[in-house]
Amino acid sequence: MKIIKSDKDQARPLTDEDKRKQTAAEHGKCMVSRRQFLMYSSSTAAAASVVTLNLFPGTAEARTQKARVVGYPRKLVAKVSQLKDNKPIDFNYPDDGKGTQCMIAKLGVKAGGGVGEGRDIVAFSYMCTHQGGPLQGSYKATDEHRTLGQCPFHLSTFDLRRHGIIVSGQAYQSLPQVMLEVEGDNIYAVGVLGLLFGRNDNLTSA
Amino acid sequence: MATNYYLPEDHAPLPPKHAEVLTTACDYCIVACGYKVYRWPVGSGNGGLKASENAFGVDFPTSALQDWVAPAQHNVVIHKNMPHNIIITPDKDTKYVNTNGDSSMRGGLIAQKCYNPKTPTRDRLQSPMVRIYGTLQPVTWDFALDIAAEVGNYVIDTHGRNAYGVKTYSYQYIENTYAITKYALRHVNTANFTFHDTPSDVTSTPGFRDAGFDNFGPSYDDWGAADTLMICGTDPYETKTVLFTQHIMPGIKGGMKVIMLNPRETAGVAYVKKMGGMHIDVDPGTDLLVLGAIARVIMENGWEDSEWIKQWVNNKWESSSGFGQGTRNTPWQWRTTWGKFQTKGYEDYKKWNLEQPEYDPEYAAQYANIDVKKIYQAAEWLAKPKADGSRPKTSIGIEKGFYWSNNTGNTEAISTLATICGAGGRPGQVVGRFGGHQRGGQRGGKFPRAKSPEKLPGRRKRAMDTDRYTYAGHTRFAHVIGTTWIQAMCGSQGLQRKFMELVTQNEHQVRSYDKQEIIDTLKARADSGGMVVINQDIYLRDPIGAKFADIVFPAATWGEEDFMRANGERRLRLYQKFYDAPGQSKPDWWIIGQLAKKMGFDGFDWKNSNEVAEESARFSRGSRKAFNMVKVAAQREGKTLHQKMAEFGTDGIQGPVVYNYETGELFGTKRLHDTTKSKEDFIKMGQENGPTGANVVGKKMTHFNSQTGKVNINKHPWSLFSDFHEWLSPKDDELWFSNGRINEIWQSGFDDVERRPYTTQRWPENWVEINPEDAKKRGIESGDQVMMYSDRVPAFKDTLLGVEGNNFQFSELMKRGHIELSKAAVTAVAIVTDSVKPGVLYANMLDTRQPSNSLTARVVDQISGNYNYKMGVAKIRKLGESKYKTEFRSMSWVPRNIG
Repeated sequence: MKIIKSDKDQARPLTDEDKRKQTAAEHGKCMVSRRQFLMYSSSTAAAASVVTLNLFPGTAEARTQKARVVGYPRKLVAKVSQLKDNKPIDFNYPDDGKGTQCMIAKLGVKAGGGVGEGRDIVAFSYMCTHQGGPLQGSYKATDEHRTLGQCPFHLSTFDLRRHGIIVSGQAYQSLPQVMLEVEGDNIYAVGVLGLLFGRNDNLTSA
Repeated sequence: MATNYYLPEDHAPLPPKHAEVLTTACDYCIVACGYKVYRWPVGSGNGGLKASENAFGVDFPTSALQDWVAPAQHNVVIHKNMPHNIIITPDKDTKYVNTNGDSSMRGGLIAQKCYNPKTPTRDRLQSPMVRIYGTLQPVTWDFALDIAAEVGNYVIDTHGRNAYGVKTYSYQYIENTYAITKYALRHVNTANFTFHDTPSDVTSTPGFRDAGFDNFGPSYDDWGAADTLMICGTDPYETKTVLFTQHIMPGIKGGMKVIMLNPRETAGVAYVKKMGGMHIDVDPGTDLLVLGAIARVIMENGWEDSEWIKQWVNNKWESSSGFGQGTRNTPWQWRTTWGKFQTKGYEDYKKWNLEQPEYDPEYAAQYANIDVKKIYQAAEWLAKPKADGSRPKTSIGIEKGFYWSNNTGNTEAISTLATICGAGGRPGQVVGRFGGHQRGGQRGGKFPRAKSPEKLPGRRKRAMDTDRYTYAGHTRFAHVIGTTWIQAMCGSQGLQRKFMELVTQNEHQVRSYDKQEIIDTLKARADSGGMVVINQDIYLRDPIGAKFADIVFPAATWGEEDFMRANGERRLRLYQKFYDAPGQSKPDWWIIGQLAKKMGFDGFDWKNSNEVAEESARFSRGSRKAFNMVKVAAQREGKTLHQKMAEFGTDGIQGPVVYNYETGELFGTKRLHDTTKSKEDFIKMGQENGPTGANVVGKKMTHFNSQTGKVNINKHPWSLFSDFHEWLSPKDDELWFSNGRINEIWQSGFDDVERRPYTTQRWPENWVEINPEDAKKRGIESGDQVMMYSDRVPAFKDTLLGVEGNNFQFSELMKRGHIELSKAAVTAVAIVTDSVKPGVLYANMLDTRQPSNSLTARVVDQISGNYNYKMGVAKIRKLGESKYKTEFRSMSWVPRNIG
């Protein structure tokens, strides 16, 4: 195998691959992601935390499991008492850098990955996973359906009840879903399913 | 096969500075967006966040519309026996087609197409196989080819050339289609030949051909440059996305009005309506009536484009001067339909239209089940002069929902309406197909029509209906290349039953290790009235490969060989090889070449795909994608054709290509039938005194494809189709059944929905859209598993000769016992949505496990010989609840028209 190695290469800053080699061993059986989380010092790399995941309530796959999610900050993003049905609240996650605009909403109907008593509180990235179109202001409640879109760029629409799956459109993946945890009245963002548009890693911020 | 258990990832590598960059275009829809392939050895270091550290030269995180890598755009492939990372993203630098680096979801995920044993592509065919004791077993190329060649020759010698049937894709690259057609048509010389989407090798748009319109004359710029654009039988947003998002959408934003004619309201239709456009939601198969009525309203108001008609429409003598259709090129033989289509010019057409009771707008609207106001409104938008007396620029585009609903009638009617509106031959005033597959056909032989047993009333021969010929037991050797054949045709469950009878239930089955014994067994099968099947493909398809093939040849495909192809505006590109084909798989041109040589044919000694392309170049002369002059230029520059094509990158060049010998410049052709082309244009191309050197400057570049170069304005009689439409119309509890594509799935579906986890998650199985009104009556909710079934699937059961004029009229065929009614049953998951019209069901066109086409009528259009795939009826009932009803993982019940 041809390995490209030159003095210049040696001196270059750590690449993604390099960093990955320097991370802790692959974490357990987290079904969220198989990434190897960064352990080096960084403003965004928080201490390891244990969160409870219940991704697919009401299904055969629904089982609560402990996943050791390393790296994602646990961030207070809203209060249950503050959420009104179908009125999204904006927040940034996992940091305040580029591509972190997100929204949290109480859908009023049960949703995949939903938290709260009605399993209807979900949070998603606002950035279309096609070409980064802004989805702000495109939240819609139509009968029992809850959507973000059409994206102003190329009309992609996402189903918020089904983990942000594409309804119709051109995106390369579901809208990244922000995983939530409820503690009393507080709702914390604790991780992201899927890559945020514009990033090569959700936890790298320029 | 992928499952719907898709796990989203939250990181993707960036291509490093040292990545090699190659260009290609998407393998899927007609638009063929330009892509860049970044390739670098695994372990050589990935790109970093800074612009100076990655191959894009941009800082990450990036902003909207900048380069980005989604996890699914990365893959690992073997290149020159070494693992390499690849990232395939839309080309941000391309000047045409997907300007701004736009892409569809299908193309955006194309990196997943590449063979990687860790992904659901792991079942790529890697070795030739022969079925021994009922099991396909790997053998050597020579072993498999020897058997195929000897049995093939035997069948030709013993049972005649028509006993050797070839059913092939029409589009999978110029090099392959050239080799296949050279083999099948020139050397085997069989009339038992056709392409993936039709039972007979006939034109897809008979009305366009009669009028003189090329299917792909317009440029993509034209589609956004009209005042009014009429789109028939498709939502381009769903089916050729980037044509919509980069060309039609900007037009709409600039004030272009769009009229969509089809029974279903999808995302593009919702957008058009939101922007002030119109949706004419016809019932299946009734387009012709609506178009005839719109034409009538235009003519009654005197809104026709008289100047255009005067200059560009044939009069009686001109249209009688030859249609190029009959064997002796005389008008009476033209379609031998005794004047059903031909007119003496515009006034004659007008008189005819006004005499037909069915083009009364009230009647047409009632029959088509639409609001009559839409007919009047459409007529105004299409043709009413503006306040200043100038005419609106009108363009018309069609696709399969339209021309596979009443193939001849609809295409005749739309051609005539276009001509009345002055569409065709001017910028922003064009008529054409939007397209399905890319245009990768290059004929290396001529279809031997004289050998076809099909004869229509009059003296005219028509290309053989290969389904019917096979059904009648005449095909003894079926050579199937890159198509499922069975599910892709109409009334497919009946066809499958016949395959079982001829192939697997025949007593002569291979039960030997010995090559000669295998050959003798297969010969005995053919002699006993059975059929031998060989199949070239990239995956083992069920049933054609998995159940029926005696011999399987593994094919190499996109990215695994250098190939050429054109898109829907005739833009030719080189699709570069960037990784090694898996196992022993070989490109189809190579497989055909080896087989042909073993059969004793000469002219198949190609060493690489460039040699095939260069040989085929001269046969492209005069065609819409003529690229012969690229070869001429390449050779003068000491390059190969493929090398020269590579220089064009994703920009490519539009056919027909003209070469200026003086300046050494190559010129593409923006649009065909371009009546605005000036003397200066020809001076620039160095052709002011006629074609120079090897250049061919065909009539179609500046005129229409008729004898005179003007347009034929034709009649479009409803009566040829009306008896079938009335017979088929839903009875009792039946609903119309139609089918087609869905945006997220490439139409052939073989490598995306089945082998791309995200796409599989979105559409894990066949689905059917049903209007809430119809669903409620039947107790059906979204997520219910349903059975669609019919005992009224008409199938034309024999090859017969037409003698009298109406012999092929549907009611006449029924009366004479040539149609049998068969049954079909297909399951699906119901989606209750008002995006489909009441009374109409709409399902995926080609889920091979639950094949929709089995519900559609296996009766060909009596004039053209095409199937009307979009026409069927079905009853529907609930079987129970699917798992998707209660889980949130996959599918979605959100209507596609939520804008």
